[in-house]
Amino acid sequence: MKMKNRYRWFLAPVLFLGVSAMLLAVYFQKKNTTLEFGMFTGSNWDVANANSFIIIDKAIARFEQEHPGVKIHYYSGVLKEDYSEWFSRKLLEGEEPDVFMVLGTDFNQFSALGVMKNLDDLIQEDADFRPDRYFSSAFRTGQYGDVQYALPYEVVPTLMFVNKTLLTKEGIEMPGQDWTWEELYDICRQVTKDTDGDGILDQFGIYNYDWMDAVCSNGGEIFQPDGASCYMTDDQIVESVKYIRQLNELNQGQKVVQEDFNGGSVAFMPLTFAEYRTYKTYPYKIRRYANFQWDCITMPAGNRGENLSQVDTLLMGISSNTRKEKLAWEFLKLLTYDEELQTEIFQYSQGASVLKAVTQSREMENIVQEDMEEGDTVISGNLLGRVIEEGHIEPKFRRYEQALALADSEISNILENEKSIDSSLKILQRTINSYLQQ
Amino acid sequence: MNDKKDHYIMLLQGAMLILNFAAVALICVFIYVTTRRILKYYDARRFLDGVVTIPGSPRDNLVICLLLMGILVLTFALRQFMKDIQNRFIVVTLILDMAVSGAVIFQLDFNYNGLLLLVFANVISYVKDRKIKLFLVALAIAGYLVADYDLLSIYTPLYNIDDYIRYYSSNTQQYLFSVYNIVISLNIILFIVYCVYVINAQRDTIEEVNLLYHELQTANEQLKEYADMTERMAQTRERNRLAREIHDTLGHTLTGIATGLDACLALIEVSPEQTKKQLVLLSKVSREGIKDIRRSVNELRPDSLDRLSLEVAIRKMVTDMSQVSDVSIYFETDEKHLKFDEDEENAIYRVIQESITNAVRHGKAKKIWITLKRIDGEILLVIKDNGTGCKEMKSGFGTKHIKERIEMLKGTVAFDGQHGFTVTAHIPIRWGETYD
Repeated sequence: MKMKNRYRWFLAPVLFLGVSAMLLAVYFQKKNTTLEFGMFTGSNWDVANANSFIIIDKAIARFEQEHPGVKIHYYSGVLKEDYSEWFSRKLLEGEEPDVFMVLGTDFNQFSALGVMKNLDDLIQEDADFRPDRYFSSAFRTGQYGDVQYALPYEVVPTLMFVNKTLLTKEGIEMPGQDWTWEELYDICRQVTKDTDGDGILDQFGIYNYDWMDAVCSNGGEIFQPDGASCYMTDDQIVESVKYIRQLNELNQGQKVVQEDFNGGSVAFMPLTFAEYRTYKTYPYKIRRYANFQWDCITMPAGNRGENLSQVDTLLMGISSNTRKEKLAWEFLKLLTYDEELQTEIFQYSQGASVLKAVTQSREMENIVQEDMEEGDTVISGNLLGRVIEEGHIEPKFRRYEQALALADSEISNILENEKSIDSSLKILQRTINSYLQQ
Repeated sequence: MNDKKDHYIMLLQGAMLILNFAAVALICVFIYVTTRRILKYYDARRFLDGVVTIPGSPRDNLVICLLLMGILVLTFALRQFMKDIQNRFIVVTLILDMAVSGAVIFQLDFNYNGLLLLVFANVISYVKDRKIKLFLVALAIAGYLVADYDLLSIYTPLYNIDDYIRYYSSNTQQYLFSVYNIVISLNIILFIVYCVYVINAQRDTIEEVNLLYHELQTANEQLKEYADMTERMAQTRERNRLAREIHDTLGHTLTGIATGLDACLALIEVSPEQTKKQLVLLSKVSREGIKDIRRSVNELRPDSLDRLSLEVAIRKMVTDMSQVSDVSIYFETDEKHLKFDEDEENAIYRVIQESITNAVRHGKAKKIWITLKRIDGEILLVIKDNGTGCKEMKSGFGTKHIKERIEMLKGTVAFDGQHGFTVTAHIPIRWGETYD
C-alpha cells in the first residue's frame, strides 16, 4: 500500500506527459495528410502565360496516380510580384508548403535562413538521380555555400534580339553566332543616323544593353563566389564599362527608349529566351514588333570572353520542416527531373528545360517551330544548350541583391555623368567591399 | 523555526518559477504577437531580410513552451505539497526539470537560458547527497554556460528575439529591450537572493547545532557529577550499614562473651562447676554470634548472588547490561561448576561488573569479551573490550576498586589500554576449603 502511494505522485507527470504528447501528435497529424505545393501564377520571366497551371496539374495528376492516398494541394492565384511576401508570411506562421517555387531574389535569403531543406543527402541516397543530366549552370543555381538547397525547374538564357528589317534596309548582313563586340559596335555605328533630316538622331544601334551583359560576355565576374569582395577594378569589368560608354556615345547624348525599339528604329536589344518565345507566337506577335522582321542570336563576345549571357533559373525546393521528406523529394524530382514533364515546358511555358537531353532534342525544335512562321529560323537545340550550359549564373551570397543594386546604380551614375571610369571604379570597389565586409 | 525557513525557501522558489514562467510566456507571446503584426502590415519579406532565422511556427512554439512549463509547475507542486516523498524521487523530478528546461531552452533557440538557474536553485536546496548534488550542479552550470545564444549562434542559425524587437519603432524598441533585460536581471537577482538565503539558513542551522551540542555536553558533565555524588552517598550509606551491622551483631556477641569470660575468671576458683556451665553458655553465645555474622555477611552480598549461582548471576548481569545499552557482551567459561567461596564469588562478580561499567563509560566500547578459566589452581579472569582504551594508565577509572578486591584475595591484576582495554586477573582460589 505504501509503495502504491509512493508511485502515485510519480504517475501524475508521466500521465501528463503522455497526454500532452498524444495531443501534440494529433495536432500535427492533421496537417500531414496532404503534400502542400507553393507556386505563383503566371510566368517567372515576366511574360504573359495563360497556361501556368497546366504542367503542374499534369504533374499532380501523375503523382497522385503513382502514390495512391497522397493528395497534393497548391495555392492558386498568387501573382509573382506577391509571391515573395506570400511565401514569407507562410514562413513566419510556420505553415510553408512542403515543396515550393523559389524566386531568384529570395533564394539566397531563404537558404541562409535555413528554411530550405539541404538536398545533398536525398541526392546521395537516390541511386536514379544523376545531377549531370541537368545543365550544370542551372544545377549550380540551386547551391548556396556548397550545399544544394533547390533544383532547377525552368531555365532562361538571355539572347540578342536583331531587327532583321532594319539591317536589310542598311545593307548589313545578320551577324553570325560567334560575333564580337567590334562587330556590334560597327553595326551600331553604321545604323545610328538621322533619317528624316531634322538634325536629331532617330535610328539607333542598341537599346537596353547594360554593363552586366557586357561583363558576362567578357569572361568577367562581379563578385567573389562567397561574396567576400568584388572585382570592380578587374580588366574585364573596366573594359565592359568602357565599351558601354563607347556604345552610348554613338547616340550623342540622346536617350533610346522602348518606343524607339517597338517602332522598328533600333537594331539590337537583349531579351530573354522567354520573351523571344512569347513575342514570336500568336497573339503577342501581333501586338508588338508587328511591323518588322526579327530574330534572336547569341550575345556578342568581348575581347576576353565568349558569346555568353546571364542564365536565369526558376528553382524549386523543399521545406526544412517538412514531415513528408520522401514524398516531397519524389514530387520535386517529378517536376524537375522527369523528361516527359520537362518537355511540357516547351509546350506550355516560355523557358527552356533544365535537362540537357530535353533542350537539345529534335522534339524541342519541332515544338518551338510549330508556333513560328515559316522563314523564322529556330534557335538550334545545340546552340541553346551551349548558351545555357556555359551561361553566367549569379553568385550566391546573402547580400548579393543589395550589393549588385549598389554597383549598378553607381555605374549608371558614372556613365551618365561622364566620370573617369578607372578611378570611379576603384572608389566603387572600396565602397562595395566595405559594404560586403560589414 | 525550520518550518519558517522552508516557507521562505518555498516562496523564493515559487517566485523564481513564476518569473521564469512569465519570461518564457512573454517571449513566446511576444514572438507570436509580433508575427501577427508583421503579417497584418504585409512586412513579412522585409522582416526576413533582417533576421538570422525564424522559429518554426509561433503558435506551436507557444503551445509547446507553455506545456513544458506546465510540467515544471507540476513537479514544483509535487515537491512542495507531498512532503513525504523520498529523496531519489526528488532527484528524478529534478532530472525531469532539467530535461524539460533543456527542451524549453532548445525550443526558444537559446534566447533565454535563465531556466537553468531555477533548476540550479532547486538542486541546491533539495539534494542532500553530496555526490548527486555535485553532479547535478555541474550539469546545470555546464548547461548554463553552453546554452548561450551568442556562443551557439556561431555554429548554427538560431532565431534572435532582438530581431523581433527591432521590428518595432525605436521608442518601442527601447521599452521592449528594457522589459526583456529587466526580466533576465530579475531572474538573476532572485537567484542570488535565493542562494544567499539558503547559505545563511545552512549557517544558522550549523550554529544552532553547535549551541545544542554545547548544552548537551554541559548537561552530561553535570550528570556525571551527580552520578559520582550518588555513588559516594551509596558508599557512605553502605559503610554506615556495615558499621551498624558489626556493632549490632559482632559487638553485641563479643561484649557478651567478654562479660561472660570475666565472670568465669571470677568464678573458676569458687566454683569450677559453675564456671563450666558459664563456658558452655559462652560457647553457645559465640556460635550464635557466628550465625549472626554469617547472616549479616549474607545480607551484604550482591542481590543476584544472594539468590543465584555465580554463573547464572554473571549471565543475568551480561544480559541486563546488553539490554540497557547497545553493547554486545560475550561471556565464556570452561568451568563446569562455578562454585567458590562467597568472598571470591563476590570479588569475581564485582570485578566483572566494574570492568563492564568502565568499558562502556570510559571506553565507549561496543563489544566486550569475558573469559573465566581455571589454570593451575588459579582462576584467570580476562575482560577485554573494543573501546578507545587509554594511552596512559591513570588511577581512578574504577581500576582502584578492582585492584583492591583482587589483592584482598591475594591475587594479581594487570591492565592494558592498547587496542581497547583489557583487564587480566589471576585469583588463587581456596579449592575445597570450607569454612564452618
